Amino acid sequence: MVPLSWYLLVAAALFCIGLYGVLARRNAIGILMGVELMLNAVNLNLVAFWRYVNPSDLSGLVFAIFVIAVAAAEAAVGLAIIISIYRNRDTVNVEEVDLMRG
Amino acid sequence: MGMQIAFFLFSLIAIVGAILVVTTKRLFHSALALVLSFVGVAGLYILLEAEFLAALQILIYVGAIAILILFAIMLTRHLMDPKARAFNEQWWVAALVAGFLFLVLMAMILRVPWPIKAAAVPENVIEGLGSSFVGEYLVPFEVASVLLMAALIGAIIIARER
Amino acid sequence: MSAVEILQAFAPELVLFLGALVLLALDMAWRRLGEGKEATILSLAVAFVILSLLLLLGFGKASALPIWGMLASDQFAFFFKGLALIGTGLVLLSSYRYLEGHTPYRGEFYAFLLLVTLAIMLVVGAVNLLMLYLAFEFLSLTSYILVGYLREEGKSSEAAIKYFLYGVTASAMMLYGISLLYGVTGTLDLVKIGPALASSGAGSWLAFPAIVLLLAGFGFKIALVPFHQWSPDTYEGAPTPVTAFLSVGPKAAGFAVLARVFITALSRFQPEWVSVLAGISMVTMTLGNLVALRQENIKRMLAYSSIAHAGYILIGLVCLVSGVTSNFTGLNGVLIYLLAYLFTNLGAFAVVIAVERATGSNRIADYAGLVKREPLLAGAMIVFLLSLIGIPGTGGFVGKFFVFGAAIQVQFYVLALVGVINSVISAFYYLNVVRHMFFLRGEEKPIAVELTLKWVIVASLIAVFVIGLYPHPFISLGTKAVQILGVAF
Repeated sequence: MVPLSWYLLVAAALFCIGLYGVLARRNAIGILMGVELMLNAVNLNLVAFWRYVNPSDLSGLVFAIFVIAVAAAEAAVGLAIIISIYRNRDTVNVEEVDLMRG
Repeated sequence: MGMQIAFFLFSLIAIVGAILVVTTKRLFHSALALVLSFVGVAGLYILLEAEFLAALQILIYVGAIAILILFAIMLTRHLMDPKARAFNEQWWVAALVAGFLFLVLMAMILRVPWPIKAAAVPENVIEGLGSSFVGEYLVPFEVASVLLMAALIGAIIIARER
Repeated sequence: MSAVEILQAFAPELVLFLGALVLLALDMAWRRLGEGKEATILSLAVAFVILSLLLLLGFGKASALPIWGMLASDQFAFFFKGLALIGTGLVLLSSYRYLEGHTPYRGEFYAFLLLVTLAIMLVVGAVNLLMLYLAFEFLSLTSYILVGYLREEGKSSEAAIKYFLYGVTASAMMLYGISLLYGVTGTLDLVKIGPALASSGAGSWLAFPAIVLLLAGFGFKIALVPFHQWSPDTYEGAPTPVTAFLSVGPKAAGFAVLARVFITALSRFQPEWVSVLAGISMVTMTLGNLVALRQENIKRMLAYSSIAHAGYILIGLVCLVSGVTSNFTGLNGVLIYLLAYLFTNLGAFAVVIAVERATGSNRIADYAGLVKREPLLAGAMIVFLLSLIGIPGTGGFVGKFFVFGAAIQVQFYVLALVGVINSVISAFYYLNVVRHMFFLRGEEKPIAVELTLKWVIVASLIAVFVIGLYPHPFISLGTKAVQILGVAF
């Protein structure tokens, strides 16, 4: 069987790649995609811990399912906000959205 | 051995997909790479004997979230100047931060004594999940449904036509 | 636990949820609200909040055991639930007719204020990491929607997208931290994590990443440096009543979660998190105050001031005293400070709303000559600003006294000193507003203040003085509330 730490390392890599996307992207949708990667990393962690640490207690799996549901809700609200900005301002680049710098 | 090969394959898909998501210039391509990464993670779930979660991952992440993102990209597409920079000027700081974080997490993963138990997965996982949603996790389940309702109404309030 | 007991323990939350549904349904039935209808919606919303508060007072402490191991209704949660309900009541009253001319959709606004309060009540009671995450996310999502509510106005949507992007990133980091705790202990129950962590043999290699990742999530809500970047833009762009709410509600919820998780689950790592939080506390108050000095918009100034206050409040958590017979347990200072800050800040924001509605401006320069335009506003504002500085006789002083006192008691003199120096710095920008209101000449047209806003201002004034001059009941309330977490008696 594959050791637990391998899964954790893959998850950590996904998490850091996602974080890079969040920090480096200028576009709100691009940032959101980075966050989705981070959430996937978390879920991979949760499922791997469930499998290796305590498979008879399903709480890790249950948690992962909730994370997926909430991620969908987050995406819906976030994209709604992005669309409303687009209607107002005709741009979705976070750096150009700067009525309030300073 | 087959396990390891499958693991490497799916990890490769997930990580390469992820790297493409954060490095491609065109958002549309990023979104497609995101789907690829989601599929790779779903494969890892299967290796972890969480088939139900793999199915959910495909249904919700690929079927709903990725599609939602593609929709948003299409809706706002004509705003996106293909020549505009996709990344800010601090991208190398971001890379340093992410790289450093990975080193820290790697050290942690390798040093912490995770309490591993060699136990088999119970046979009726899906049944167990179902009963824990209406048993042990009833309160979170209800809260999640309220949350989804609020998110739906809120999204409509914010995005509806004038 | 019997069904009746569960219903009783849940009653305040259920009433709020019901209230939100009723408001949404009414709003749908009426479509565009005229003035009379908005008054009806507002009174209904306030009635639901009051009913919820009464039920909380009646049954709030009904059960010692958490419901299904998820939600505690202990004294600690009780205190924060009461705080959230009182805050919401005041914010509801300050919102009356604010949205007029901004958006035709006003009913849902009140419904969402009830939902966001429901979320806070769930957050502060959560004793399971899954429950905590869901409640936290519920709070975030409803806050994003309220911030972006004025979708016809660029500033509001922009505030919402910043809040959203920082928020989802922070919550993903927090989740990663949660997954680590789950991995090393195999449980999501906060109470069980404590001992499991102690026997796990995990040391600093786990402690620091877990603390920092969790702190990203909690600190985002509280606006601690370096997780504060969203707050000035969000505070400025959000509808002002929402800004007022954000500065007290989610902040208090963030402190409640921070205290509960770190004290019950991470007690083994107390030396580690005390050092992290001590550093963050000093940086937070200093940065908040220094940047506040050069703000010209009062909402931005109050945003940075609210960052600074988060730094002061954090001192209480750093200087936790356990097992000593003392008036200063640190944590009780956190609670007392939050209570005083609630009334002070909501009062100040009520003044800001009144001025904004009359002048359409939030520039501090436009506060010139306010005393001639409406003495009540200027007079009340001076009290609120003095309370923010922490002048004796006001509620703000009592809060500062208890957190700084805790720092001196545990001999964290540097922390106390930095806090005091910062309070002195803060006087400059608070008194600058006073200078404008009283000593500079400006427009002289009188300002008409909405009746509900007057109620909020007067109620906050009374509360600030009562806490400041007669603090004993509030001190014992705060001290009792923290006993549940095993902190000194």
